Amino acid sequence: MQIIKVENISKVYGSKKNSNHYTALKNISFEVNQGDFIGVMGSSGSGKTTLLNILGSLDKPTGGRFLMNGSEVGALNRNQLAKHRMENIGFIFQDYNLLETMTLKENIILPLALRGKDIAAIEAKVSSLAENLGISHVIEKYPYEVSGGEQQRAAACRALVNDPKVILADEPTGNLDSKSGKDLLKLLTQINTEFGATILMVTHDVFAASYCRKILFIRDGEIYNELYGGSDRKQFFDSIINVMSMLGGGEG
Amino acid sequence: MNLFSLARRNIRLNGKKYSMYLFSMGFSVFTVYTFLALMRNEIVKTAFRYDVRYQSLLSSFAVIILVFVLFFLISSNNSFIRARKKELSTYALFGMPNRRIGGLLFLETALVGLGMLVTGIGLGIFFSKLMAMILLEMTLVNFAGKINFSIDPAAVYQTAALFGGIFCIMGLSGWRVVSRFELVDLFKADKVSEKKSKGSTAVLILSILLMGAGYFIAVNKDPYVVVVGSIPILILVILGTYLFFWGGLPKVLGMVKRKKELYYKGANLISVSAVSHRMRSVASVMATIAVLSAVAVTAVATGFTLYANAERNTYSNVGFDLTFKSGDETVQANVSEVLRKNGVKVLVDEELPLYETDTPTTSIEMDGMPLLTPGNPVRVYSESDFSKLVSLSKTEMETASVAPGEALFLFPYSPDRIEQAMLGQKLDMSGFVAQIADVGRSNISGFGMLNTLVLNDGDFAKLLTEGKLSPSFVDGEAIHAAVYNYEGALKNRQLNEELKAVLEGRGVKYSTAYGLYNESMETFGLICFIGFFMSGVFILMTASLLYFKQIMAAEEERHQYRTLRRIGLDGRTERQVVRRRLLPVFFIPLAMGILHSVFAMKTADTVVFSHMIPATNSYLYVLGFSAIMYGVYGLVYAIFYWITKSQYSRIVRS
Ligand SMILES: Nc1ncnc2c1ncn2[C@@H]1O[C@H](COP(=O)(O)OP(=O)(O)OP(=O)(O)O)[C@@H](O)[C@H]1O
Ligand SMILES: [Mg+2]
Repeated sequence: MQIIKVENISKVYGSKKNSNHYTALKNISFEVNQGDFIGVMGSSGSGKTTLLNILGSLDKPTGGRFLMNGSEVGALNRNQLAKHRMENIGFIFQDYNLLETMTLKENIILPLALRGKDIAAIEAKVSSLAENLGISHVIEKYPYEVSGGEQQRAAACRALVNDPKVILADEPTGNLDSKSGKDLLKLLTQINTEFGATILMVTHDVFAASYCRKILFIRDGEIYNELYGGSDRKQFFDSIINVMSMLGGGEG
Repeated sequence: MNLFSLARRNIRLNGKKYSMYLFSMGFSVFTVYTFLALMRNEIVKTAFRYDVRYQSLLSSFAVIILVFVLFFLISSNNSFIRARKKELSTYALFGMPNRRIGGLLFLETALVGLGMLVTGIGLGIFFSKLMAMILLEMTLVNFAGKINFSIDPAAVYQTAALFGGIFCIMGLSGWRVVSRFELVDLFKADKVSEKKSKGSTAVLILSILLMGAGYFIAVNKDPYVVVVGSIPILILVILGTYLFFWGGLPKVLGMVKRKKELYYKGANLISVSAVSHRMRSVASVMATIAVLSAVAVTAVATGFTLYANAERNTYSNVGFDLTFKSGDETVQANVSEVLRKNGVKVLVDEELPLYETDTPTTSIEMDGMPLLTPGNPVRVYSESDFSKLVSLSKTEMETASVAPGEALFLFPYSPDRIEQAMLGQKLDMSGFVAQIADVGRSNISGFGMLNTLVLNDGDFAKLLTEGKLSPSFVDGEAIHAAVYNYEGALKNRQLNEELKAVLEGRGVKYSTAYGLYNESMETFGLICFIGFFMSGVFILMTASLLYFKQIMAAEEERHQYRTLRRIGLDGRTERQVVRRRLLPVFFIPLAMGILHSVFAMKTADTVVFSHMIPATNSYLYVLGFSAIMYGVYGLVYAIFYWITKSQYSRIVRS
């Protein structure tokens, strides 16, 4: 079932009349089905975060339209958008965006608290997630007291705690060592297969990308290539490397 | 760009954000100028000439204001500079030496200071007539003089010199702050998380105990204890307040955090964690505000209660518009003549015989102080004479009925403790024994004597025929009390002067309601006026300091709200978060200030009001008047809260 449909989306930063405007996305179209696990790759500055922000309705496209669950997101008002984000989307930000006035635990609880969930359910949910991502021992600490990787995992917990239908992850493993990166990827895969959550994940890391079932390559704000993974992760890994080298841009 | 135009640009850019600061700066100038000008105002001087207390009250108030203004301006200037760290660090990064940045700040302070000095003095001159009029209207019952719009050059110089000095100190202390900046610190400023204060249960309990102890002394019924204890009360309560905000409130927040059902409720989670995060940096301001609010609110409430009750107070002290003792009928004739000539309507014109006894052989003491000693005369009334006196008078006293063999004992002061000592005592008057069945308070029946006894009509007649009571004599003449009530007595100066002349001419001891009333209005009016001014200054400055801190916080918290919106915080919940984030910061100090004041008013009641207000529970009555002032204060505070909230929301939403 189709969950996201993007039609000719473009994004221009700065006003069009202004000389220093910048076109970050150019007429992008693609579709995402429910239960997809899609990787988004491309060199730095190619427009990945911009795309994710638009899909997460944090930003508005300057052209084109996009539908989620068959309804046009652009038509929603501010509060409807907030509700939509809260209920459907889990965002793992590139720069974590944890609130420094709260402990990691409180940060993770936040979306549940805002939705008015009851205490017992909250506690159970949070401790199992934290356990999974190996941050149980630092959960009562404040963000500035823990490492970047621990912050990143806490941010992942916060995105997942709400059982979102769509997970948008911006380099979720960027700061993690291979062990904890793997734990997070396994968790994402598990959520994807068991609960049918749809995942879009930006990554520069080929190993992380090989967990996806499809990769979108972006170059200069356009979709350059799409790659589908089969059952063999090793083979997928190699083909990603191939495309990357064709893409040229210094990543890989 | 030279330093001057840079300074001008900075003022323009920051001006809007810190308009509140400018406003309170202007208001301080205005206040100081107004007071200096009032103290030099000729009419005010003449009006208060005969009593130097008022002059010194005004000038000591001016000193308090100045000290406070100095403190406020320097501390808010320093946090203003800290709030601009980012901007200043950019200059440093571009290679501007610290010395020059300091110079820039000095120049900015000087320019802003000059602007506010001109504005404040300008407003002071503009409102000088109004202010003098309000002061004189409030304090002088029948002020009829004409006040002219005036510019007082000396007051202008003095104000300018004072604030010139203050602004220099501000500029220098700003310079000091800047020269201490390290470039690295400047950039870290936002990111470095404030040290959290966890608070401690011990401090929380201690603070409550300290305040409780202060309150405990304050509610003591004995005026003597309260007066002697006033300094300990102040120390206990102020110390307790600061400890509460430093260590107690963080603990309370910690306790809220542990109550998960409450804490994990959407908006609460965000706002409670944000408030407790800020606690350390606002604790002192909050405590100071609590203390100052208490002072201001108490001053206004006391002044207002005194002022509003001046008339009642007057009559409960003198009872009639005019009373005197005389044995000469012609004095009354003269007085009646004056009243008639002035065309005032006479409501009461009576004379009552005065009796005394000097023979209660019982001696009664309280704490070693004699209440009654044999040989000292006591004024004696029959119950019907006394009731007649009371019902003719303008007091709120009640008429009496006394059973045979009993007596009502009246004392001019608060009877609480005296009552215990006197009740049930037996008074032996040359063989006639009366038991004191009731004790009360009266200022109007003594006519030259401290104590009054009211006896049963039958007993009184018997004692009189037996010669155990004697009429009062002056110069060998039996005297009686003459009492008058007439219309417009409190405002008619002309009449009062004429009556005075007549009575003094005849060498008669008299008392008029006019004299007492006008004197109380002068005192209470001045206290009230100063109280209003002081509250105005305190509230403006503390509230703007609070505003300032919150706006600074808003700049730092902006990105948090962005994050919150990103994870789906809707507009309604966001407003809720902002409300719960700011409300405690404003409300807790206010509530604590008012609580302090409620106890302070109890003290004021013990010392002053209970003698003044005849109601059985004068404290409730006083609280009623105070509640009006608390309401006004709360309203002004609510306006500041509202301004802060809208500015805060604007910042975090941008
Ligand atoms: N708010 C903005 N205003 C102007 N230009 C922007 C803005 N945000 C991004 N850009 C520009 O748009 C382009 C795409 O940015 P984007 O953040 O999407 O890149 P990215 O693919 O996520 O890069 P990275 O891998 O480094 O995170 C960049 O060239 C960037 O400079
Ligand atoms: Mg990016």
